[in-house]
Amino acid sequence: MKAVYIVFNQAHTERVEYILDRLNIRGFSWWNEVKGRGSVDGDPRMGTHTWPEMNSALMTIIPDEQVEPLLEKVKKVDEINKEVGIRAFVWEITAAV
Amino acid sequence: MSIYKTAVNKPISTFMVFTAVIVMGIYSFIKIPIDLYPEIDPPFLSVMTSYAGASAADIETNITKRLEDALNSVDKVKEVQSVSSDNLSVITLEFSWGANLDEATNEVRDVIDRIYDFMPEGADRPSIFKFNTSMMPIVFYAITAKESYPGLDKLLEEKIINPLNRVEGVGSVSMIGAPKRVVYVDADPRRLDAYNISIEQIGNVIAAENLNMPSGNIKMGEMDYQLRIQGEFSESSELINLVVGNFNGTPVFLRDVAIVRDSLKDLSLDEKINGQRGLRMFVMKQSGANTVKVAREVNKNLEILKKNLPPDVEINLIIDTSSFIKGSIKNLSETLLWAFLFVVLVVLFFLGRWRATFIIGLTIPISLIVSFIYLFLTGNSINVISLTSLSIAIGMVVDDAIVVLENITKHIERGNSPREAAIYATNEVWLSVIITTLVVVAVFFPLTLVGGLTGEMFNQLGWIVSITVVTSTMAAITLTPMMASRIMKLREKKIKPKKFSFQSTIEPLLNGLDDYYESLLRWSLKHKTLIIILSLTVFVSSLMLMKFVGTDFMPQTDESRITVAIELQTGTRVEETMKIARKMERIVRERYPEIEIMAASSGSDDAGSMFSLFSTAGSNIINMMMRLQHVNDRQRTVWEIADDMRQQIAQIPEIITATVSTSGGGMGMGGDNTVDVEIYGFDFNTTNKLAEEIKLKLSKLPEATDITVSRKNDKPELQVILDKDKIALHGLNTAVVSTMIRNRISGTVTSRFKEEGDEYDIRVRLAEQFRSSITDLEELTILNPMGKKIKLKEIGNIEEYWGPPAIQHKRKERIVTVKAKPNGVSLGELAKKVNLVVNDVKVPQEVLIQVGGAYEDQQESFMDLALLMLLSLILVFIVMASQFESFTMPFIIMFSIPFAFTGVILALLITGTTLSVVAALGAVLLIGIVVKNGIVLVDFTNLMRDRGMKLYEAIVVSGRSRLRPVLMTALTTILGMLPLALSTGEGSEIWRPMGITVIGGLVFSTLVTMVLIPVMYGILAKSGERDKVMKIRKKFQTLD
Repeated sequence: MKAVYIVFNQAHTERVEYILDRLNIRGFSWWNEVKGRGSVDGDPRMGTHTWPEMNSALMTIIPDEQVEPLLEKVKKVDEINKEVGIRAFVWEITAAV
Repeated sequence: MSIYKTAVNKPISTFMVFTAVIVMGIYSFIKIPIDLYPEIDPPFLSVMTSYAGASAADIETNITKRLEDALNSVDKVKEVQSVSSDNLSVITLEFSWGANLDEATNEVRDVIDRIYDFMPEGADRPSIFKFNTSMMPIVFYAITAKESYPGLDKLLEEKIINPLNRVEGVGSVSMIGAPKRVVYVDADPRRLDAYNISIEQIGNVIAAENLNMPSGNIKMGEMDYQLRIQGEFSESSELINLVVGNFNGTPVFLRDVAIVRDSLKDLSLDEKINGQRGLRMFVMKQSGANTVKVAREVNKNLEILKKNLPPDVEINLIIDTSSFIKGSIKNLSETLLWAFLFVVLVVLFFLGRWRATFIIGLTIPISLIVSFIYLFLTGNSINVISLTSLSIAIGMVVDDAIVVLENITKHIERGNSPREAAIYATNEVWLSVIITTLVVVAVFFPLTLVGGLTGEMFNQLGWIVSITVVTSTMAAITLTPMMASRIMKLREKKIKPKKFSFQSTIEPLLNGLDDYYESLLRWSLKHKTLIIILSLTVFVSSLMLMKFVGTDFMPQTDESRITVAIELQTGTRVEETMKIARKMERIVRERYPEIEIMAASSGSDDAGSMFSLFSTAGSNIINMMMRLQHVNDRQRTVWEIADDMRQQIAQIPEIITATVSTSGGGMGMGGDNTVDVEIYGFDFNTTNKLAEEIKLKLSKLPEATDITVSRKNDKPELQVILDKDKIALHGLNTAVVSTMIRNRISGTVTSRFKEEGDEYDIRVRLAEQFRSSITDLEELTILNPMGKKIKLKEIGNIEEYWGPPAIQHKRKERIVTVKAKPNGVSLGELAKKVNLVVNDVKVPQEVLIQVGGAYEDQQESFMDLALLMLLSLILVFIVMASQFESFTMPFIIMFSIPFAFTGVILALLITGTTLSVVAALGAVLLIGIVVKNGIVLVDFTNLMRDRGMKLYEAIVVSGRSRLRPVLMTALTTILGMLPLALSTGEGSEIWRPMGITVIGGLVFSTLVTMVLIPVMYGILAKSGERDKVMKIRKKFQTLD
């Protein structure tokens, strides 16, 4: 079991939803309107007058074999336009109830 | 869920909502009446009191003064004016605009009730008369006839007037100058004396003979008969065979002592149409009816009714007020269409996308149509003001849609799906879109609060622009994203664009412009002082130019009609007046081929028709009405013709004063622009002398023309002064003698001749040759109760005398007004000159002189507008300060306003337009339009700085990036107004100044602000923004 945390520009919402559907990922937690700033480059997403755009974030806990296809899709989305922005981070789940 | 998200997610609902709006708009559009101006109830009430037999001076002291004193206390009365003439007192109360006249009428009635007991016995109860614009005639016809002329009155009454009265919306139809049938019995006084018969006797005999009398019932057998005695004349010729008396046992017939004429009434009003005998007919509409519709119906019906008339009767249209309205409205509608086309072209030029242009263009009809709903709900009409408002709005309603769509396009080009791009892009800009709209509303909304005449006229403009702009914003954040999400798509960049595609033609051009602007900005930022000095010089020198711009109240319009009022020596008999009228007609026919039809009336209609309320009449007055060819079909303007006509009139020595007027005589707001010199003072001689002196001085001014004095010359009168002792000796009294004189001169009507249901007066009096000199008067025979014949000269003598004129009051004081019209100069300039003249005149202590007239209205309106401007400036500042959360930013942006005024002054000077109320209003509106550009620019610069750019870099980058949107919104507004400024058709004079001021101001201020505002930003924003980071560091020093 791995946790995948995807944070993305709101503008990618429909694509992200489609990926989850397509890969039959049922469970996730979703945060709308998340502020954030990239570590290297890209515009901050602050929802202010200066930086009006906003991110959304989702966390999904999936079996190990699903991680690779998911990351692949995320990369494809990112490729459409780097400026818009989508990132995924994966970490281990040691236990769950 | 936000409104734009809902709109995008529910496209059908959104579409339906806007469809509903459009459907309602179209429904309203069909229902709204069309008129020239918004319906303005002039706030006037008149109180008329008649007191038979009193002279002007008696009326003044006994009636007018008392009423004036009492009426002055009525609530909201602004000014009280009055005219006291023989037998009649007319007091006009002027209220503040927008006052409730119904309430005022009640209050006036209360006052009259209170005062009535203190008025002289013989005075009638004062009647209140409410003036209404709908009382002005809307169509005038000239009717000429040859053989049918004598019976024209009856013919028209039956065949034309009665059917026309049935047309919906027609208030009344009346005639001027219609020939009236009268049966005259012209007696010979010598024969009367010889046969011992008096005029009264003849009258009594006629009354006694011309009689039908029911005399009861008679029962015979099974029947019940009515008994009647039929004595009425069936032919007027029966009259001559009446026995009027006995002389030495033989009967004296009427034919022995008098001539009977069944004829037309003696001339007191002569009406000629194009020099032919005829009359004028005019139609008044019901209050609230649609002028254009009523005029159309009347014309249509008349075409059908004409066929029932004899072939020699001709009906021609002289004045159709609706044609000017229709022309103006058509003209403005065309203007609107052109504006629409220009705006769409500008959008297409800058965006280069058909679909985007379509989406933006769609907001125009939707926003505009909402204003029709407003007009319908408030019961207003489509008029020049409302259509001009739409013209102003048309360039502004696309701005919001442009901003929203531009951002959506940016998102789509980044590869987002149109639907998401629409939602998120709108989310980013919707607030700033609303704020720019607020700025515009901050300028236009105060217009709805302005009082006075200006307010009455321009409230509509304020409402319409506010409503359309707000609607356009609503559409921009709902309809625009929805449409964009549906029809916009990612456009692939072509590697090799076609030769004539947007990318290879216009885009390089725009890019070049961007580059040039960028380098210009960099240069200016290095030469800030130079730029500031340069702009200051430009502004100050433009203020110097201001004094060359004339001022006016309302622009005059070429309504293709001229009315001339000519006054001859007071007391001139109508036959003489007619001769001058014929002379004028000849001049007009020879010199002015542009005049299509002309009606001239000389003298007055003693019946006192409705029409005489609106024009002065008298036996020495000629009123002429002329219709010219359509504006586009003639070389000379109406003013050139009028000027020439004034010169021609000046060459006729018999004419004392003449006014040549080119406006519709109060039909609209245009009216006559006059400067009035008001002379207050009690003594007639002093004030008359002053008035003459001022008139003489004014007539020497080349700037003044058509100078008239309100107080008419004294009227020549003949007075019979009776010797009281002598009449008493003969057993007579003044009442008996005066009745007898009246019967002999004016005539006595004791009976009426009936024919086909109509009644005609039978008037008995002396034949004309026996009552046309003082000697004839002296020879009048008066019968005393004993039947003795006494000559008038035995009991009194006849003296020539000059009767006092009508006495005018203003603010309860006697007043004489000298009016002057500007001649080739502006009203303001003339007022200045007149003031100089008046200051030169030596004024006695008890006399007060003031300069007023349209000039006064103009000053009042300019004061209103100045207040409005102040209010707008404050509101705009408030909106901006709260948007930027700063006092500096609004200050920087407002630097563009002075240059808008520079542009206005230049535009007015170049086009030779005067600063009228309309032009001044345009200047006020500029505040909102100009500031918008600055907001866009400064907002973006702030953004760039917040994103960490250096000051100058931020200025240059944002300048370059905002150049196109600023140019685009400015160009849409400018080109939207261009047709307004260029139009030359009917009525264009009213709104052209507004187009000119807005375009001039906007062009100039856009050019200047694109350089000056970045420079000012560079100077003023320096310290504040740079230290932000340092400040925060200081705040959290302890953490380091």
